[in-house]
Amino acid sequence: MNKVISINLNGNAYQLEEGGFEALRAYLDTAARRLEGNPDKAEIIADIEQAIAGKFRSLLGANKTVVVEKEVEDIIAEMGPVEDASGAPEAPPPGAAAQAPGAAPAPDAGGGGGVPRRLFRIHEGAKIGGVCNGLAAYFNIDVTLVRIAFAFLIFAWGSGLLLYILMWVILPSASTPAEMAAAHGAPSATAQEFIRRAREGYYEGMRTFGDKQAHREWKRRFKSEMRGWKRDFHREMNQRARAWWPGWGPWAPHPATSGAWIAEPVLTMLITLVNIVGMIALISLVATGDILGMGFLPWWPFWARILTLIGIICLLRCPLKAIRRSVYGWGYGWCGPWGGLWCILKWVLIVYMVIWIFGGHGGFHDSLYHLPPRLHHAADSVRQWWNQQ
Amino acid sequence: MSVNEKFTSIRKGLLEFLVLKVIAADKVYAADILNQLSRTEFATQEGTLYPLLSKMRREELVDYEWKESDAGPPRKYYQLTAKGREQLRETAEYWQKINATLRNLGQP
Repeated sequence: MNKVISINLNGNAYQLEEGGFEALRAYLDTAARRLEGNPDKAEIIADIEQAIAGKFRSLLGANKTVVVEKEVEDIIAEMGPVEDASGAPEAPPPGAAAQAPGAAPAPDAGGGGGVPRRLFRIHEGAKIGGVCNGLAAYFNIDVTLVRIAFAFLIFAWGSGLLLYILMWVILPSASTPAEMAAAHGAPSATAQEFIRRAREGYYEGMRTFGDKQAHREWKRRFKSEMRGWKRDFHREMNQRARAWWPGWGPWAPHPATSGAWIAEPVLTMLITLVNIVGMIALISLVATGDILGMGFLPWWPFWARILTLIGIICLLRCPLKAIRRSVYGWGYGWCGPWGGLWCILKWVLIVYMVIWIFGGHGGFHDSLYHLPPRLHHAADSVRQWWNQQ
Repeated sequence: MSVNEKFTSIRKGLLEFLVLKVIAADKVYAADILNQLSRTEFATQEGTLYPLLSKMRREELVDYEWKESDAGPPRKYYQLTAKGREQLRETAEYWQKINATLRNLGQP
């Protein structure tokens, strides 16, 4: 008596013995790995699945409903190993170059074989400083995606630009062949696996597109799988960071050190204060060209002033956040089911307290009262400028 | 090393030519191609043929259309494109040349 597993091949259910199922899965996994980088991978796999399904069908009948292990093995032998026919006729993109040939060995050797991957700037094909190019090579993804991500980050408070400039300054550029190899070398095992899974899941999702039920099921599974991989990825990145820098925060809040109960809210308040003041300064700088009536580097161009302000805010926040993390072990993840709600409540409370404290001094209230007319004024000037065009 | 083994890589390289030839004769689906090749020295397997067909389609040598079959799900029927026919003609010519060379070389 053997256990039977149902599988879905191209929209039809087949029942296989457990051993046969394992053999088939191993065969299809190997095929998928061999076809890594082939643009028609999904289609070829679908063709192969359909061919296998056809062979199953010819075996089964009214009196035989299960494919036994031996039959699966025979069919796999009949199919023959899947070989990628495209002998790299078109030049693969620079990021794929390192991966395509090296995809066959399983990516489990703690970061792949060969050179450990390092982050470099790569000038070949770079648009500005080669930062995006280097990142794309490091994570083995399309450089266009990295550029789009940076463009988005620039809109999010200009952090993308700041990050870019920082990386431009910090990252060494890959100039020797050895450095180039290291820039393209094996990435973290988890990251590679994550990207492979994401790609695979995407193809599978495309295949189930017509079937609503199957698609929903795929979506659910894909999401949960991605969440799992993301968690692993975060954990690995955190471990690496901790290896470099002992002060890196652990995951869950550790038992508070003495005095943490007072230090933590004070630090949070300070950070919030920096945030709020920074936000007001930024709004005022954008609206009027200086910070609340005070001149701010008036001899610099406008964009440089905005960038400098953002830089100052980040510089002020960074040490505060680092201290808070070391005092309280501020986690990055989801801390318990009520974490989100608690966080929002705390924020509302803190903002309320800040307003209450400053309310007594008048100046803050005045500036709040004056903010709407200032904004109106800014909007008017923009409208006027627009009308002049 | 037997002759059969020595010719492994040559057979592999020629497979595309033969597949072009099979498809040129008639609209066929993958199992037809395998079936026709199985009676020759070029017998091959799905694991090799499907990636090859997809590569040939990407190079616009062949094209396929889905057709209903009375036994089972619809099948992909392959046919040659103009480019595929041109390629077949060129390869056949080249093959003739190789044949001629083989015949004539070493003869006085």
